Amino acid sequence: MTKSASPLCLLALLALAAPAAAEHDLTLCAAINKNYVIGSKLVTPNGLFRRAADGTFAHFGLNFPGILNFSSDPRDPRVFYMATLNGCVLTTDGGQTWRIGTSWDMTEPKDVCVDPNAPDHVYLALPDGIAVSPDRGATWPRRETGLPDRGKYTQTIEVDRTQAGRVLAGCESGIYLTEDGAQTWRRVLPARATVDDIQQSPHDPKLWLAVTQSDGAFRSPDGGRTWEKIAGVPADQALYNLAFDATNPRRLAIASWVYGVLVSEDGGLTWVARHAGAPGAQHVFKLGIDPDNGRLYASLHQDCINVSDDFGRTWRKAGLEGSTVYNFVFVPKAAK
Amino acid sequence: MKTTFLLLSVLATAPAAALFAQPAFEGPAPSPAVVERPELRRAAYHQRIDEVLAWRVGQLKPADALLPDMGAIAAKLARHEDADLCSRSVITLMKEPGSGPFWMFPVVSVAFLGRDQLSPEARQAIRRAWSSGMQLRGDTENHWAMYYTSLYLMAELYPDEPGTSWYSGKSSAENLAEARGYLIHWMDLATTIGQGEFTCSHYIGEYAIPMLFLSSWAKDPAMRQRGHLMLDWVLADQFANSLNGVLHGANARSDDTAISERWNCLSSFFSWLLLGNTPSPAGYGGWGVYFAAAAKNYELPEVIYRIGVDRDQDFLQRDLKRTRRRWRNSDVFMAPIYKQNYTRRDYAVGSYQGGMSDPIQTHAWDVTWAVPDPRGKHNTMFSMNPVSAAFDMQTYFTEFPDHMMQGVTKEGKASYDSPDKLLGGSRFEQVFQDRDTIIALYDIPPGTRFPHVNGFFSKDLVNLTVDPSGWIFAQGGNTYLAYRPLAGYELLPVAAIKSSFTGERSHLGDQRLYSPHLKNGTIVQAASASEFKDFAAFQAAIRALPLTFSLEPVPTVKLRTLRGREVVVTYGAAPVVDGAAVDYAKWKLFEGPHLNAEKGSRQLTLTHGHLQRVLDFNTLSITDRVLP
Repeated sequence: MTKSASPLCLLALLALAAPAAAEHDLTLCAAINKNYVIGSKLVTPNGLFRRAADGTFAHFGLNFPGILNFSSDPRDPRVFYMATLNGCVLTTDGGQTWRIGTSWDMTEPKDVCVDPNAPDHVYLALPDGIAVSPDRGATWPRRETGLPDRGKYTQTIEVDRTQAGRVLAGCESGIYLTEDGAQTWRRVLPARATVDDIQQSPHDPKLWLAVTQSDGAFRSPDGGRTWEKIAGVPADQALYNLAFDATNPRRLAIASWVYGVLVSEDGGLTWVARHAGAPGAQHVFKLGIDPDNGRLYASLHQDCINVSDDFGRTWRKAGLEGSTVYNFVFVPKAAK
Repeated sequence: MKTTFLLLSVLATAPAAALFAQPAFEGPAPSPAVVERPELRRAAYHQRIDEVLAWRVGQLKPADALLPDMGAIAAKLARHEDADLCSRSVITLMKEPGSGPFWMFPVVSVAFLGRDQLSPEARQAIRRAWSSGMQLRGDTENHWAMYYTSLYLMAELYPDEPGTSWYSGKSSAENLAEARGYLIHWMDLATTIGQGEFTCSHYIGEYAIPMLFLSSWAKDPAMRQRGHLMLDWVLADQFANSLNGVLHGANARSDDTAISERWNCLSSFFSWLLLGNTPSPAGYGGWGVYFAAAAKNYELPEVIYRIGVDRDQDFLQRDLKRTRRRWRNSDVFMAPIYKQNYTRRDYAVGSYQGGMSDPIQTHAWDVTWAVPDPRGKHNTMFSMNPVSAAFDMQTYFTEFPDHMMQGVTKEGKASYDSPDKLLGGSRFEQVFQDRDTIIALYDIPPGTRFPHVNGFFSKDLVNLTVDPSGWIFAQGGNTYLAYRPLAGYELLPVAAIKSSFTGERSHLGDQRLYSPHLKNGTIVQAASASEFKDFAAFQAAIRALPLTFSLEPVPTVKLRTLRGREVVVTYGAAPVVDGAAVDYAKWKLFEGPHLNAEKGSRQLTLTHGHLQRVLDFNTLSITDRVLP
């Protein structure tokens, strides 16, 4: 899932410090662990990588091959939460030290999201449901009322930047919405298989898009209450994630192992595969769009990062050879 | 992500194992007979322990300045040798810690064996290694057994230390509480609704070793007792499913080697060490050294020994197990496994009801026959559907669908996406067992990847006869076998997987029955040769069995078994035996002459002859009785 991190925070920061807020740090959750088996020495860096000024990526924090996602506190980006194989790992000093916040009863969260309007609250997408920390990761009670007993495998969780406690979760059985901080959930879109990503438009907070494993892509014009299928997106194979271009409301992109990079430049009316020239072509694992300049990033599985300055028409390698990127996260620099 | 497929065999393989003398591997096969005198059993057990440690130490080159790995250090420490060399080696190895349970538990063994031998600097090096790099917890039940046992013991060894001194960021007390919480949870599951990874050809080590450590080194008497109870529990279950020390099916998880050469796996190391009735695998199974290093803290109870070794009487065990966690694609989180084990002197028939216990390594049923020396012998017969599906992988793994099938074949499960594989379960297989009769039915949807049935015909079968009746007759050891395919087939040579990592193959002489029909089935009837005048008489008896079957709309078989039972088995319906439907809901946790437990009881009664032992997790007690 691509997190154009904390858009509300970004807006607030724009008001406070307009010139600086347009710039973002790109942080990757990635692993370069070819031939790694559990128990062996980690001979390559894994985990979080930050883009340097020259475009290269430097590892920081925990070296751990199982960091799948992260979300930072808009009040202090040194505080962030990582969805990892071991549970939710949190840090308060920018990754120098850390703590596994969850216990044995929560494993392999796929996504984590801080509520930008109530940043003590952190939402965690688990393979067997959803947990919410009300206290900055100190405790993690499950919040699953309204979720089905089965079908609550949760791949993605995204907080509405316009309203505290309003959250959409992508589960095995569909998209679920809560408007009361996960006290109750209701299904707003049924799905035959896992909903892989949900994103809120940076241009229109009512507009949400979702991609799924077996039902294609969906669009919600009303804040996630109702959903309609996007006709031009193929639906036979899994779609892994999607991204809005914050610089251009007509530009959207979807990553798929089978279809490669799918892009739309007319707000989702038409879509084309646009990965020619990218090594590996398909087998795209995740993509992201830089909110500062519309640059399109795509990660090929256990290959490298590719970048396109013309929205997929041409590509070049952008480093991190051998990597799989689990998520592209753009963190507002001004938040520092 | 790679770590979710997680492998271990590469780490478990003993270095240069075949280059040095291993009496237990290279010498004559031991007698499978019961050793009656306990002092002789005990002496032989200690001798075997010493053999493992001596062999491991013998691998080392005198000129080496340092010991190469934790196994060597553990062996040295267990023998109380070269403490200074061990200390220096530990300090060097701890500079580059590993990253998960397969690193953690070897280090735990060294930490505890070396408590009074290692230098303060070496012990500090171990302590530091547990404060820096994050340890991966893994994603399987065996990973967690190793991870949390290791964390528990280290948190006890280093109490009252702050979170900043542990890789987890949690204090000693927090680590201890979390580890204890999981271990008790896992034991509760295993002792109420059954083990998840049951009777595994390799993974028995990943339970037996941590439980031995817990029973040996936990400070808390309750946890120490839990370790002891659980070790008895898993070993009793494992050995009840062995024939002359060789584990047979069904298995929650097996591997490409042990699926045909049944003996060639870590389970045989435990049989060799604790029962003394089969050769040890090469290198003592790799992990064997870690059990051996602490094995003198444990003595197998006589009742388990006899359950494992004595094959004078036929027995039938019916046990309840459970599948691995199903994250999605299932109505239940862990489905029940109804397992049967019918064991006789000449052969054993084991099964569960079909479906998948594990996404990759399930082995749902087989007939395994006794052989005087199991090394190199493929003493087994079975069939299976070699389906390969992202759907199945996603049921058990929290991954996207597309990379897993390719990835898993590069990570130690080389056969997974091969049409000729022999390892693995299928959602499209249902298995019925009545003593030594197996009926496996298949209803494979069109479009399934590898929509056919593979039957295994060993190189070690003799008198293989394709009979005009439709039966295939063969003899394995002193066992007569009748195999009835329900649809057309051909016999093809098997290119056996030599390495689970490289996928290298070789032709060893086995054959694969390939049947490409979606509606399909296999009937196997076994019997002892001693029951018949000759092989021809067995064949005549099989031909005379009333048998009708049809494949549409779903496979169904009506058969009078060799034992005179009238069975009707239909895909998707409860089997009917002598007019009564089999009711799996009444299945107990264990039921048989040797292992008995009620579902939910947390109490297992082990019985052999007059000997009885009760393992009671409710009272954390062990009660031994001699029955009148």
